[in-house]
Amino acid sequence: MFHCVRGSNSNTRTFPDTAIVEPHASHHSNRVEDFRLITGTGKYAADWNLPGQLYAWFVRSDRAHAEIVSLKVERALKHLGVKRVFTGEDAVRAGYTKFFVIVNYPGRGGQPIKKPARPSLAAGRVRHVGDAVAMVIADSAAAAQDAAELVEVEYRDLPAVVSVEEALAPGAPQLHDDVPGNLPFDYESGNEEAVKAAFQNAAHVTKLRLEVSRVAPSPLELRACMVQYEPKDESYHVYVCIQGINMMRKQLSFATDVPEDKLVIHAQDVGGSFGQRSAAYPEYCMLMLASKELGKPVKWVSTRSEGFMSDTHGRANTIQGELALDRDGKFLGLRLDWIADMGGYLSATGSASHTRNPSACMTGVYRIPALYGRFRLAFTNTVPVAAYRGAGRPDIAYVIERLVSQAAAELKMDAAELRRRNFIPREAFPYKTPTGSTYENADLRGVLEKALKVADWKGFAKRRAQSQKKGKLRGIGISTVIENTGAGLFPKDQITLECSADGTVTAYTVAQSSGQGHETTFAMVVADTLGLPLERVRLRESVQSKGLIGNHTGGSRSLVGAGSVCKLAAQKLIDQGRSLAAQELQVEPSQVEYAHGAFQARGSKKKIGLAELAKKQPLSVMAEATVGSTFPNGCHVAEVEIEPETGTTRVVSYNAVDDAGNVVNHAVVEGQVHGAVTQGAGQIFCEKVVYDRDTGQLLTGSFMDYCMPRAGLLRAINVEDHPLPSANNALGAKGVGESGCTASLAALANAVVDALRPLGAQHLDMPLTPAKLWHAIQSAKKGKN
Amino acid sequence: MYALNYVRPKSLAEAAKFLASHPEAKLLAGGMTLVPTLKQRLARHSHLVDIAQLRELRGIEVKDGKLAIGAATRHHDVAISAAVKKAIPALAELAGLIGDPQVRNLGTLGGSVANNDPAADYPAAVLGLSATVVTTKREIAADDFFRGMFATALEEGEIIKRIVFPVPKRAAYAKFHHPASGYAMAGVFVVVTAQGVRVAVTGAGPGVFRWKAAETALAKSLKPAALDGAALKVDDFNEDIHVDRAYRANLVRVMAKRAVAKLAARGR
Repeated sequence: MFHCVRGSNSNTRTFPDTAIVEPHASHHSNRVEDFRLITGTGKYAADWNLPGQLYAWFVRSDRAHAEIVSLKVERALKHLGVKRVFTGEDAVRAGYTKFFVIVNYPGRGGQPIKKPARPSLAAGRVRHVGDAVAMVIADSAAAAQDAAELVEVEYRDLPAVVSVEEALAPGAPQLHDDVPGNLPFDYESGNEEAVKAAFQNAAHVTKLRLEVSRVAPSPLELRACMVQYEPKDESYHVYVCIQGINMMRKQLSFATDVPEDKLVIHAQDVGGSFGQRSAAYPEYCMLMLASKELGKPVKWVSTRSEGFMSDTHGRANTIQGELALDRDGKFLGLRLDWIADMGGYLSATGSASHTRNPSACMTGVYRIPALYGRFRLAFTNTVPVAAYRGAGRPDIAYVIERLVSQAAAELKMDAAELRRRNFIPREAFPYKTPTGSTYENADLRGVLEKALKVADWKGFAKRRAQSQKKGKLRGIGISTVIENTGAGLFPKDQITLECSADGTVTAYTVAQSSGQGHETTFAMVVADTLGLPLERVRLRESVQSKGLIGNHTGGSRSLVGAGSVCKLAAQKLIDQGRSLAAQELQVEPSQVEYAHGAFQARGSKKKIGLAELAKKQPLSVMAEATVGSTFPNGCHVAEVEIEPETGTTRVVSYNAVDDAGNVVNHAVVEGQVHGAVTQGAGQIFCEKVVYDRDTGQLLTGSFMDYCMPRAGLLRAINVEDHPLPSANNALGAKGVGESGCTASLAALANAVVDALRPLGAQHLDMPLTPAKLWHAIQSAKKGKN
Repeated sequence: MYALNYVRPKSLAEAAKFLASHPEAKLLAGGMTLVPTLKQRLARHSHLVDIAQLRELRGIEVKDGKLAIGAATRHHDVAISAAVKKAIPALAELAGLIGDPQVRNLGTLGGSVANNDPAADYPAAVLGLSATVVTTKREIAADDFFRGMFATALEEGEIIKRIVFPVPKRAAYAKFHHPASGYAMAGVFVVVTAQGVRVAVTGAGPGVFRWKAAETALAKSLKPAALDGAALKVDDFNEDIHVDRAYRANLVRVMAKRAVAKLAARGR
């Protein structure tokens, strides 16, 4: 049995090759890390300090698109306490002009992606409001900020473009001289001819133009970084908010040509990441240069205002989608014309997030014989776009699930029935999709029926009638989704596991939690495999000294990857201990049994504990595994009530049934789903980054204008597990960090559109604000009169 | 924030004297607008003169049919005050709708009224209740006090001491929160007195204003439906990335109706 922390929806599971152990102390109501984090004793990037540290402040462009005519630093240099002012010229002189971009696969016609130069400080030209043009270093943060106001930048404004359609149009302002048409990458997936034929034979075609809005991920922790250059071995110690040390090193090394082994990354706690913390931002490179040239540690802590204009944004996709169906509602083909807004530069992840990821799941949970998607990336004078919780998967799921619900409405069919009719059947797994993915397994029908039951799908008409009596518009929305988790820069994940002389077992990883609860779940995996109380197991994250290969935390991959290797490592530790115990007990290893932290000779009372063994010699193992994609899937059903007088939506119920494979800790899974669903709800109902169309100015530069979701937005989220174990990893787990975003966008949008449909209102793009809904209701009423 | 000096006078007189001799000094009460402005370096002052602690600016008192609230009284203290709840429950309710718990435990009545943010809640109550703003120099009627966006009748160095609200027969407030900031996207304060009905609107226009057509309509029939035909001039209503004029105008009418509906439940 696996003894875990669980919520109300307990799912106890037996692990095929896990020893049966007694119940132990892992029945915590809180996660292991919670006490530290909620009592303010966490240590975040800005909490690191070193003797003699200097402070950096960045001067940022207040123009969307401009040439830098001149940049004068003399007055700033004279300011008390100022040590140096760096500019784009310094970045270029140091050779810091490259920026790491994941995409290494060809586009249409075999054309590679164009990766324009990106100096660590803008040189010659700025491409978005917030583009950093200078870095002031002083002996206090206040002096650096004061002096930054004395840096004189003369700009020559260039026309700015902030919408992708305008950016790709002929005659648009050009952002990069070596990227004609603002089109760095033109990618395609599927079979264009087959789709054409499918549409010719279609009895019905549903078309929608969909915008997946640009959002500011806004983790609670502000971005911060401190670098200390160590001349004696030419190494750089980088204290920074990250998603994993190896990815950070690889990117920093790429941008600066400093060898990876000279980069030492330090992190303890990270306060939210969402994909936004995976990048080696240009500021970090400049801090490296400053520390080396000034011989002191240099620290920078962002402000929230800077965050809005320099931390990567998410989503920002515009899609024309078409779904072809036959007379019986069977899907024949799907065609997408997808434009992804990249902002002013390519980020590390955005280009892959919005080409490869949506392609991988382009068929959704359906058997669609013909698929074709064309994906174009566009440069605009906005903040670069990168992976954001789900990284293209919520976007593609939104497109498919909006199209399917729209098709059901047009055909006057039940939205669940249309899905049922087109599901990939259980027996068709492993299912090879027309765009080249192989879905491992899924019980789509089972997930759907469970969700319909808990959401009382059949009783909706009655509830709608009740709402109508109160003058409210009620709608129900469904989404059935699947996604490919994983992705990472490294071929395998390694874990080191050590048992110390006091009997404490410590697991070391290069992954980094930013709220996912690894210290609890990874430790539980080790504790349960070793039959030890959870208190005896510890996890150390972002440990570089062990030289481990492994991926960052992203793409819902950490439990599946590093977490499952924890189990292998624990098993290996038992094997290592068994040989040593056999010598101590003077029996053959095959005669040694292991249980609850002790080895015992079979049929004898002779026993030796892990701790005793560790006292005699070090107990230490390293285990590894190569873990590819898992395919978590689920069905979410949302129900909303809209007040027509104000357009206010209340989410009256939200039910999530998710197949995350075997669940180690239901409370943690539930927390991930709650967070991601709420993030999805934030995007659907309120969040959106807005730029002025003419000037390219950022209009949502603070939380006074950028609307974050509040806790009251979703009052109750019911999360049910529907586990179908994955054979992909030792735990049988599937990724779950992002699935809540993937399913919630469409479920919530479908519910709102469903509520307005009786009035005759059509598709509405997110965010579905009260004002937008009120206007839609007004025009629908006018249309009827 | 730019470097500045912080002073804490021992009396109102000392504060007034300090202000008179330091033209670049600024009064600090709860700091809920001023401090974020300073942090973003949008303002620069030589001194902050903190009057939030002054006892003479604190306190809630009901006397002769009037409710007097000291300028440095915090929103939370108004929201939970038994005296306010008894005299003008709508005012306690309004105070409880301002911002969030942190704001309500720092922000003050006088600070909010002196700042006159076009989307702040208190101005609607002050104007709706026809309150009197008592300052270090004089008494100002609410109808003369508010002068449009962030503008008031206050002169240089003049400090609000307290605000005196005549206790009405009935009053009610309905507010639609701005989804991002929590300010009023529209807030309507409806008051019934022996003299008639007053309707004050915040959040929608460039400053708090009286909706006189609604007052006339409600004087004839104190029912939500009476507002259906009431004319509303929207030319100068705020438009921003969130909301246009038409929607704000609709909110004003809907919130006014809700306030009127609440009056019925508030028999006095």
